[in-house]
Amino acid sequence: MSRILTLLKRNKKASFGMIILLVYVFIALFADVITDHDPIKRVARPHQEPSIEHLMGTTRMGRDVYTQFVHGTRTSIAVGFSAGFIIMALGTILGISAGYFGGKVDEVINFFTNIALVIPQLPLLLVLAAFLGESSPTTIALIIGFTSWAWGARVTRAQTMALSKKEFIQSAELAGESRWRILLVELLPNLASIIGANFIGSVLFTVITQATIEFLGLGNPLTMSWGTMLYNAQNTSAMHVGAWWEILTPSIAIAVLGVALALLNFGIDEISNTKLRTFSGLRIFNRRIAAIEYEKSLTAQEEHS
Amino acid sequence: MRYVLRRLFFYLIAFFCAATFNFILPRLMPGDPITIMFSSQGNNLPIESLNALKATFGFIDGPLHEQYFAYLKSVFTWDLGYSVQYYPQSVNDVLNRSILWTLFLVGISSVISFSLGSLAGIYAAWHRGGTFDTILSPLSLVMQSMPAVIISLFFLFTFGVALDWLPTGYAYNIDYDPEWSFKYIASVLEHAIMPITTLVIVQIGGYLITIRNNMINLLGEDYIVMARAKGLSEKRVMLNYGARNAMLPLVTTFAMTIGVVLGGSLITEYVFNYPGLGNTLYQAITNRDYPVIQGQLLIMTLAMLTMNFLADMAYVYLDPRLRKA
Repeated sequence: MSRILTLLKRNKKASFGMIILLVYVFIALFADVITDHDPIKRVARPHQEPSIEHLMGTTRMGRDVYTQFVHGTRTSIAVGFSAGFIIMALGTILGISAGYFGGKVDEVINFFTNIALVIPQLPLLLVLAAFLGESSPTTIALIIGFTSWAWGARVTRAQTMALSKKEFIQSAELAGESRWRILLVELLPNLASIIGANFIGSVLFTVITQATIEFLGLGNPLTMSWGTMLYNAQNTSAMHVGAWWEILTPSIAIAVLGVALALLNFGIDEISNTKLRTFSGLRIFNRRIAAIEYEKSLTAQEEHS
Repeated sequence: MRYVLRRLFFYLIAFFCAATFNFILPRLMPGDPITIMFSSQGNNLPIESLNALKATFGFIDGPLHEQYFAYLKSVFTWDLGYSVQYYPQSVNDVLNRSILWTLFLVGISSVISFSLGSLAGIYAAWHRGGTFDTILSPLSLVMQSMPAVIISLFFLFTFGVALDWLPTGYAYNIDYDPEWSFKYIASVLEHAIMPITTLVIVQIGGYLITIRNNMINLLGEDYIVMARAKGLSEKRVMLNYGARNAMLPLVTTFAMTIGVVLGGSLITEYVFNYPGLGNTLYQAITNRDYPVIQGQLLIMTLAMLTMNFLADMAYVYLDPRLRKA
């Protein structure tokens, strides 16, 4: 743990992202302590501008926007982290199994991964959310979690395949280590950065997607989250009556979280891969492409032989 | 050639799976839309009329496998039935009406992001560490983590409502007739500015960063040094030796992005009330128009499959190693 801290300290981007993320987690955990009102209770006149009394103004229904933001943070962070965890777990399990065991296991998993990759995701999620009807945050977390694992699985698989060919894995096999030991002790630590990047990317994807689903009115409008805040603002035409604070608050909340998670991801990439430190950049994207390239070359080799 | 056939076979199976999934989805949901439609209006239809309606909209009773084969047949003959919401228009009519608008948005924005993004990426890599690179590269990361909802709402509020510079809805001024007149085309372009800009912002960062990082990786290679040693001009080394090879993975990015762009286009069309596929899907979802929803999902899957297949083909063309196989 302390090693991670020193590493984070050394990488400016990662520590900046981490600090923002921690602030959000703090807001989520202490939502009840740092607010005075009930997020769905009328506490003032409608559409009040931001003031000392109501830091971020009030909504059409006279609800306090700051309170809504704080409670919305709780929902969005909870949904983001839980769906992110599901995606990470599924992606890692499927990716490692396919990459390490190979053969039939790989064929089956890879087939389903490839299918999942070519199905348009957002439309599918919208349809699912609509069919399930007024989806609660839990439902949204579950449907996102169980439909979004394909990228992670693919990247993890490619990396596992590359690692399995390395000498230290082969010598572990020759030394008679059990498969489980190889998986958990030899492979997993070396995949840590990819798994971490997968988790962070998935949290970002989930928060954005949840907001989108709820903004379109397919979530449960009675729960409080950034998406439903946007939905309610849009529904009460906050934009046209000039109540910018109602739209701006959830938008900035989402945007800042997005930037924080992106920074954290690049930081992790730079920390875990010393070669990349000379230049910053969207590493995860590149690595995904590298994974595809690698697979392509494998297919090409197969065709040759 | 075998590689091409194998990919083609895979896409066929993928389409089949998607179609099957599409078949199962509405059948998992309680009730059928016809019953819901008429029970909500409090009408008591005689059972024969109800059955006739069900047949019209493709909800035939009978054993599941018979329904399934009837469905598959309708998919492969592209006879998708009638829209519940716009009856008597067929699903094909509804889709035909909106698909061109989405193609327009997605196509133009993809071309702009691809060309601008890769040019900027090449330039940033060539002068890495310079002002352009230090400002633009982090900025593109930030743009990448911005969801389409936020960008489009920002544009709508700033330029549509607050400043009132650009129209806030629909694809053209409805007072004009769709024709090849200057007035009409200008109106179409004016209405497309904000949706296209949104989609460009969603995509461009990915291209910029991908090509920049690829370029930087490549610039250390021996053949770049060799090209320089031969005394070729900087521009030639940059474009013909560096960029040409760095472009290759962009083909994959291009195919990968199509899913993101379709999603982004969906939300953008909703925010700007643009009459494309995404907005139609949204309308169909809120009105429980199952035939249109199914048709939409099929057509979007087909678009993804086509893009991926084209990317595979482009790879075979660009990478001689695959051609021999």
